[in-house]
Amino acid sequence: MNGVLNIALNGFREARRNRVTSVLFVFAFIMVFSTTVSIEFTVATFDRVMTDFGLGVIGLLSPALTIFLGTALIPREIERRTIFMVVAKPVSRSAFLVGRYLGNVITVVFLVVIMSALFLIQLEVAGASATFSTGIHREHLVALYGLLLEVVLLTAVCFLFASASSQYVSSLSVTCLYFIGHMAEDLYTFANRSKLDVLRYAGKAIYYVLPNFDRLDFKARATYFDPTSNSELLSITAYTLAYTALVLVFATQIFERRDFK
Amino acid sequence: MTAAVSIENLTKIYTLDLLKGRRRVVALENLTLSIGEGHVMGVLGPNGAGKSTTIKLLLNLIRPTTGSARVFGLDPSNAEARRHVGFLPENPAPYEYLTGEEFVRFAGGLSGLRGAELTARVKAVLEQVQMDRFTGVQIRRYSKGMTQRIALAQALVSNPRLLILDEPTSGLDVLGRQLIRDIIVAEKKKGTSVLLCSHIIPDVEALAEDVAILIGGKLVRSGPVSEMLSSEGSRVELVFEGVDAERLASLEPEVIQVGRRLTLRTGADDARALIEAAQQAQGRLISMQPIRHSLEDTFLDAVRSSQNKVGSTIE
Ligand SMILES: Nc1ncnc2c1ncn2[C@@H]1O[C@H](COP(=O)(O)OP(=O)(O)O)[C@@H](O)[C@H]1O
Ligand SMILES: [Mg+2]
Repeated sequence: MNGVLNIALNGFREARRNRVTSVLFVFAFIMVFSTTVSIEFTVATFDRVMTDFGLGVIGLLSPALTIFLGTALIPREIERRTIFMVVAKPVSRSAFLVGRYLGNVITVVFLVVIMSALFLIQLEVAGASATFSTGIHREHLVALYGLLLEVVLLTAVCFLFASASSQYVSSLSVTCLYFIGHMAEDLYTFANRSKLDVLRYAGKAIYYVLPNFDRLDFKARATYFDPTSNSELLSITAYTLAYTALVLVFATQIFERRDFK
Repeated sequence: MTAAVSIENLTKIYTLDLLKGRRRVVALENLTLSIGEGHVMGVLGPNGAGKSTTIKLLLNLIRPTTGSARVFGLDPSNAEARRHVGFLPENPAPYEYLTGEEFVRFAGGLSGLRGAELTARVKAVLEQVQMDRFTGVQIRRYSKGMTQRIALAQALVSNPRLLILDEPTSGLDVLGRQLIRDIIVAEKKKGTSVLLCSHIIPDVEALAEDVAILIGGKLVRSGPVSEMLSSEGSRVELVFEGVDAERLASLEPEVIQVGRRLTLRTGADDARALIEAAQQAQGRLISMQPIRHSLEDTFLDAVRSSQNKVGSTIE
């Protein structure tokens, strides 16, 4: 357990110093800042436009950063052979993978939290000068929380693919899964309407087996101040954590068996 | 007493998926080897002999095709097998955004060291590898020699009972090589077992008690270094002046004639007969000295006798 924590914190420290992460950080900062600042507000639509744009940008950047960072880490470490000295210590490969996963989650969550904070500050500050603004609303926070859960789950999916294949293959696969996972509800409804049994079962299978990122997406609800119950928040949290744990178990099983050449 | 390392019939076959189909590379074939506690074993072999493969199998970096390996009696897949092992890989690549000290601390932490003990050990090994002046510098700014030293420091930090070193001196300057040699000697005095894999013969000859010669994935010779040096029987080199090579031909020595000077190499037993024959032919003996057999001869013999087997078998 100590090894896991050690590896996680070490990973975060490295990420903070790494030039790639620093550049991404600055990029994300500028993107969030400039999109919301450059919007021409009309008084009546301030909240809606601000929410749409702000959450939209964060909702686009955070999975992109997650996939980029999450699929690169393990393959790069195997290719550069930095992994040799670490797994030669008395730590299991599973501990290594979980430690690396946590370190990566801390890094990406850190990026998302900074983007979110920037968004919320703008909402509050700009909102103060707009006549009909209500400022930060609970549904904004719910949407951002959903994005954080998405990052936690998506990183695990990245690690599952990256524990077995190259960065190229895994980033493509995870990107596909991400989009399918966001259409989960639509696919389910669509398949249910089908007259073919095969399609109906396939639709259900996809719905229950693949990660359901749709369930974690509250951006549209935030735009219309459509409230989300506490019990739903609890249930998506449980869903995310359980699914993440399951994916990590599979990833460690694959990782324990592979050769580092 | 359990051996530090015991390897039995270990075989590793890599499968490559090439465009033209699958190919099997036999990187290691039926290797049996053991290292007693406190012993220094040198594994000598040309590039591609299977040295790194053997090490990777011991550290669970790869899995054997058949056969078994034990480290302190435990299977390598058990993380506890590595509790008392320090490993210096070939061309080590530590995390480049960490400083040397941070990396060694990280390594010590993974080996279970904590608090004051960890701090003290980190300081001690950094001094031992003479890197205490560069501790605050990020590893990406290090030279090859500095990186090698930091990697050695992380191997030593937990006071290992077994050191596994893969080409520890390759690519280093004279000072770096000497430092690493000194450290290995010091570890040996402390009773640490060492597995030293190298293609540099003088290093193995100077440091190891036992040597195993690997060629093309196969063990071709093994035994104490002292036996390998004398296994051909002693030979002498004689230098004469004023005698023709033909007059001594019946005794079949190795001959090098430069002007009037004749240098002969022969078995010690034949030396007396040669000297008598030369004196009868009015030759003058200038010098006579024993030829010290180096491990290099044994190694070259082994390479020659395994002829086309250099490089591993590809099927
Ligand atoms: N990942 C790999 N895939 C295929 N062949 C490999 C791989 N790693 C090593 N080999 C082959 O196995 C043989 C032994 O390699 P290695 O153990 O690295 O040799 P050494 O360390 O003695 O130079 C070589 O022929 C090498 O080409
Ligand atoms: Mg090698």
